[in-house]
Amino acid sequence: MEEQNTLGVGGRLVAVAIAIIIMLAVFYGLDHMIMGMQGLPLNPDLSPAG
Amino acid sequence: MKVLFKTLGFSLGLTLLFTLVTYLLPQVKGEAPVEKKVDLSSLTMEDFIALGDDIFHNKGTCTLCHKPAPLGRAPDIEGDDMVAESAKRLADPRYKGDAKDAEGYLRESMLHPSKYVVAGWGKKGSNDSESPMPPVDKPPIQLSAMEIDAVIAWLEAKDGNEVTVALPTAAAAAEVAAGGAGGDAGKAPAPAATAEEALAKFACVSCHSLDSKDTLVGPGLVDVGSRLTSEQVRQSILDPGAVIAEGFPPAMPTDFGAKMTVNELEMIVKYLAEKKG
Amino acid sequence: MMKQTRFSYIRGMMRPVLMFMTVLLFTGMATLVLAETGAGSAQARIAPVGEVRLQGQPPVEIAPAAAKAAEEKAELEAAPQPRRADYPNVGMSSRAIVWVLAQMHLFFGALVLAVPLFVLMIELVGVYTGDERYDDMAHEFMKISLTGFSITAIFGGSLALALFMLYPDFMGYMMHVFGAQVLVYASMFFFESFFLYVYYYGWNAFRYGNLKWVHLTLGLLLNASGLTIMVLANSWATFMMAPSGVNEVGAVVGNIWEIMKGPLWNPINLHRFIANIGFGGAVVGAYAAFKFLSTTDPEKRAHYDWMGYTSNFIAILAFLPLPFAGYYLMAEIYSYSQQMGITAMGGILAWLFIVQAVLIGTILLAGNFYLWSGMSRTEGSERYKGLIKVIAFVLVVSFLIWVTPHTLILSASEISLLGGSHHHILGPLGIMPAKNIAVNLMLIATFLSFQLYRRSDKVATVRWAPLGNALLIGVYVAAVVNIIFLGVYYGYFTNTVYKVGSSVAQVSTTLVVIVAGLVIDTLMFRNAKRLPSHWGRIPDRAQYALFALPIAFTWLMALMGYVRSSVKTHWHVYTVMKDNSPDNFIPTIGYAGNMITLVTVLFLLCVLFMFWVANLSGSRQAKPEATAGGEA
Repeated sequence: MEEQNTLGVGGRLVAVAIAIIIMLAVFYGLDHMIMGMQGLPLNPDLSPAG
Repeated sequence: MKVLFKTLGFSLGLTLLFTLVTYLLPQVKGEAPVEKKVDLSSLTMEDFIALGDDIFHNKGTCTLCHKPAPLGRAPDIEGDDMVAESAKRLADPRYKGDAKDAEGYLRESMLHPSKYVVAGWGKKGSNDSESPMPPVDKPPIQLSAMEIDAVIAWLEAKDGNEVTVALPTAAAAAEVAAGGAGGDAGKAPAPAATAEEALAKFACVSCHSLDSKDTLVGPGLVDVGSRLTSEQVRQSILDPGAVIAEGFPPAMPTDFGAKMTVNELEMIVKYLAEKKG
Repeated sequence: MMKQTRFSYIRGMMRPVLMFMTVLLFTGMATLVLAETGAGSAQARIAPVGEVRLQGQPPVEIAPAAAKAAEEKAELEAAPQPRRADYPNVGMSSRAIVWVLAQMHLFFGALVLAVPLFVLMIELVGVYTGDERYDDMAHEFMKISLTGFSITAIFGGSLALALFMLYPDFMGYMMHVFGAQVLVYASMFFFESFFLYVYYYGWNAFRYGNLKWVHLTLGLLLNASGLTIMVLANSWATFMMAPSGVNEVGAVVGNIWEIMKGPLWNPINLHRFIANIGFGGAVVGAYAAFKFLSTTDPEKRAHYDWMGYTSNFIAILAFLPLPFAGYYLMAEIYSYSQQMGITAMGGILAWLFIVQAVLIGTILLAGNFYLWSGMSRTEGSERYKGLIKVIAFVLVVSFLIWVTPHTLILSASEISLLGGSHHHILGPLGIMPAKNIAVNLMLIATFLSFQLYRRSDKVATVRWAPLGNALLIGVYVAAVVNIIFLGVYYGYFTNTVYKVGSSVAQVSTTLVVIVAGLVIDTLMFRNAKRLPSHWGRIPDRAQYALFALPIAFTWLMALMGYVRSSVKTHWHVYTVMKDNSPDNFIPTIGYAGNMITLVTVLFLLCVLFMFWVANLSGSRQAKPEATAGGEA
């Protein structure tokens, strides 16, 4: 029934944490890109640069 | 059959539920702007200001954007003293328009909104060089000159400033009357039917002689068809500054493109292009 | 043997029909070519057949100069500005008549456009999987919507008649602007009918091998003609909203392509295309639900359960990207005319977006409820029971945030404050950050339900499955964080421009979740172990979700169509031709609600008729027992 667990509980938590960090970075880039495309530049801390 | 009634009942019930939601919301009608007749003989400045107030809140659709701070998409005209504001803006080094006083500035900002954009309110990405506001004398708002005057009068009066616009003259009132129910034609007289009529309407003959080569203010046009193609004639009317006949000052009005109907322009161009002296 | 004869019989029947259609097609095309090249111009048609003239003399000129001048003048004709008295009065609101007919035409048009689209998809799936059940289901979808084509045409004809009778000046102007394009439009109906009937009636005749590919091509051509009809008709609607190819008084200055290709044409095309699929899926889902409920035969229940599931799948999947298309459309409206955009989102029409929230909320809740109920079909769904409670909670809370208007109850004085044509309090409803967060969270939650459902009958066998799951959790968590951050920070702590811009980033985030979810799952469940599914094992109450979907979809479509049309306010053609008819005002929301309910109920009845007719063809009256003497 369950999928194979090759990582163990601790390993899973670490994997999830890393995945969240990676995806936050991706969305950080996405926010910059989408706002930039609309002519609304952002500072590195995401505050409006316009 | 039982299933049919149950499912139909369910569907109709849901539909009625949605209808009910629309009844819970405020029931407001959005009337189309109605033409107002202005009786010149009894028009007081107070009435004129009230007219401006009404136009600002209804027909002008100004309050769609000009609202108090957290909601507005444009400066809060109603809340600010616009005469004082105008003075500040005229003094701004960014100001590049031609207005000299508050009245002039207010009119200019309505007819040519991009002449001066208040910092922070420009079109997205234009760095405050372009205004998102439509010119109020063009469709879809289409205020007449008199209505714009009324709005200015109200803007001046609402904060206790002196009203500098004059009450409408009989000529302006006649224009409005001519418009009648057929829309806001009030701002433009009836289109001319022939080239001669059009030439008279736009007062071409006050500067150009049509039947000789004599120079009045501009060059005589009796042989213009042999000098210019119809394309060039059209250009000289729409954009007189582009090519100026040698020895003449750039005195010709530049707004014929906006004033003439297409038909009028074409009639004039055809008429002139056929004038080969 | 029996089958063989039937097929050859059909083929025999088809030959004359085919020939007839071909003749019609060629006549249509020939007329078209003539019209295009001008060979059929008025002068050519009225020119005398034979002409007597002296040898060596030039032919008599029939005042061509005058004709030419008249033509030139006609080309530069401004839009008419009819007065109130110019509008025929038939004793009841002309707008109401056109409203009902146009909406009914659009409902059925959308339905018959969408059904062949996903039918073709299902047919393709059938070809690739070799599973005949798909083929039969696709055929059944066609069968139940077949009458819809005639109903569409009937309402289309009535609509045209009503428009020409009630708004002659306006229609005259539209004809003047669009000219021969209308003929192209009409000729497309020949193509569509031809492909439709061959596609439907040829289903079993062209079932296997190379003939199947002929059949699929017919389906493709059917869809191509259908879509062409849609985009041509869309260009009229978008021309009315944002005219192009004409000057400021409405005189035609551009060619037909410049007139069609207005700023709102493609946004509307995209939006209608996606929405039609969702709408079509929802309507055929109701058919499956009805059949499911009215039978106790387990085999039939299994079939209709599966059909209902597929319909719901289509409807929800098409529905998820719809907000994105909606944003695109609104953004184009704003950039065409900020005033028009604000009329829609900040004027009195803004209240309608609360109704829209109720409807979309209903659709999402019904869709989710159906998916959750459907999980009882499989044995692998136990794993997700806990998560579903979380999703349900998020959905309900988001829904409540969304439908909460700025001011719940308006006092009489507040209503009188509204008196003018525009509203002061509810201005930025359309960009309300809290609501934007809620909408995006609802979409994400729905997609999660959908994904869980898809997973509930599978067990991944790839080695990296735990990593894939971790990544997916990362996508969801980070997306939720990003959406809330964007909404709260730009919504409440920066200026309006950034607030509006951030909503685009929010929708993009949602889109990333959907795409990432689909990609990860596709890769992860390749060669997955399948758990047994039991079609038909679903509670009866779940079927009511399949009725709620089309009702809410229909209502929503009528509502948003009304908003789309109303943003023009008192113009027939925005900025070019004024509406001076007695109905040129925006009615109250209650009146609009009544009209929308009226068209929804009418649509419901017509759809019932359509389904009933479809079932009629499958039933055959038993031959009555011979009575003494027989009938006279």
